[in-house]
Amino acid sequence: MTENFERIHSSGDFFELLKRSGYNPQQVLSDIPENKALEIPQGTTVLAFHYKDGIIVAGDRRATAGNAIMYDRCDKVIPIDDYSLMAIAGVPATAFEMARVLSHNFEYYRRSQLRAMSTEGKVRALSRLLKDNVAMALQGVGGVSPLFAIYDKEQEKAFLYFYDMLGAEFQILTHVATGSGSPMIKGVLEHENLWGSSPLGERSEEEATSLSIRLLQTAAQFDSATGQARPEDKLYPIIAKITKDGYQFISDDEMETIYKSSMSRS
Amino acid sequence: MFEEPFRWMEAISTRHSYVREKLFKGQPVIGVPYNEGALIIGFSPQPGKIFEIYDRIALGGLGHPADVERLRMTLLDMAHAEGFNRSSEDVTIGRLLQFGLAPALKQNFEEIQRAPYLIQMLLAEINREGSAEFFRVSYDGYWEKFKQGTVIAGDSKVSERIQKAIEGTDFMSLNLDKSIQSALRIWEEGRKKPKLEEDANSSATDNDQTEEEMEDIPADLKEAFDRWNLEAAVLSNNTGRKCLYRALSESEISALKLEMVQ
Repeated sequence: MTENFERIHSSGDFFELLKRSGYNPQQVLSDIPENKALEIPQGTTVLAFHYKDGIIVAGDRRATAGNAIMYDRCDKVIPIDDYSLMAIAGVPATAFEMARVLSHNFEYYRRSQLRAMSTEGKVRALSRLLKDNVAMALQGVGGVSPLFAIYDKEQEKAFLYFYDMLGAEFQILTHVATGSGSPMIKGVLEHENLWGSSPLGERSEEEATSLSIRLLQTAAQFDSATGQARPEDKLYPIIAKITKDGYQFISDDEMETIYKSSMSRS
Repeated sequence: MFEEPFRWMEAISTRHSYVREKLFKGQPVIGVPYNEGALIIGFSPQPGKIFEIYDRIALGGLGHPADVERLRMTLLDMAHAEGFNRSSEDVTIGRLLQFGLAPALKQNFEEIQRAPYLIQMLLAEINREGSAEFFRVSYDGYWEKFKQGTVIAGDSKVSERIQKAIEGTDFMSLNLDKSIQSALRIWEEGRKKPKLEEDANSSATDNDQTEEEMEDIPADLKEAFDRWNLEAAVLSNNTGRKCLYRALSESEISALKLEMVQ
């Protein structure tokens, strides 16, 4: 535990600390036989859009491997620090690991440098993780394509980013969805934004949450890798908002009420 | 030169005196519980006394700023590597000290060819049961644990007075405001020499402050607020977040000043 005792400066870089402690995030598997039977769970639907107070991020709960449903209570929206959330689509093992690295990276920087990392710095940190993971992604065992929502306290503004598997970051001004179920709802989101009752960016939290539930239900209708809500088992999508007060998840009790009202025609 | 045991002991003893002398002007940092967590508070001429270490751990330090910084980094590195490789639940002050910092500090202190760390540290933690625990760590790696709160100060007399006052106050029943106010009153009391001591002090061979040194140090809270920085931070149980640390903002400190000294 004391190997760092004599170090006399810190860049606040958690990646550097990880490397010093023997962790190797860029490990590349060699000589893997082409094994089509090795199915990796990666079907999903996660979506995010700007609403009146910030950004809403939602995801279904299913993890699959091919036709098999592996797990039905997967949390695909993960808090990174008080003011940022990541929604994951892709290989869960890599995605959860990235979330953990990122979370420690932001906190380590904030604590060691006595100031929060800039929004741009945080956005790039995820990009760097994805870039380091390209080899795994190309080998078909580690592809991740996340969404990242962050509230910038200085600019008093919420930012939303979509990443491809190679680490390119795209800022999203309205809405985004990713995962196998996303093609089914992208058009609906665009339609709602252009011709719905009001643009997405002007909707209230209740309207935004309700729309998210309906979209995930729709995606689940057409994509077997996206799980439907099961109120009888208290199984609901996971929905979080990010606002000036940081992130907040919608609790299961709240979801019960919102889900019920969302499922009726209004 | 140090082959003989006596020489070695003499060198260690000189080293103790040297470090204590260097630390003598170190201003008190007080760590006490309150009804929703733990509070760390202290005045200093220069900012940089109180820091966040991990989700549930805070640090108060005094001594040479570069040494405080180096040990802070060590604690940060150990806590984050451990929290990442295992779980945040495995990061406790007990483990960081017992298996990390304390042996290293002791080794450093006894390697008499090397410069010793000029530092005293106070660590606070909210344990998994939600109660506050406090640790005092000395420059030679010696550490103690306190439930009711503790203090570090360069002047051991001041430290003893404050420690006694902390133990005589039921901080756990106080809310944050009351806890801060009591801690600051105790800080103020700690500055004042008891009458008896003052009379006996004409011989001035012990390590209480000399008149000249006392002049540099604010005599009461009002002067301290005017001339120095007050730093305060809490580990609060009711944030609903995993990180319990929060430094008091400038506006909170100004409000506190208004309430206490004007």
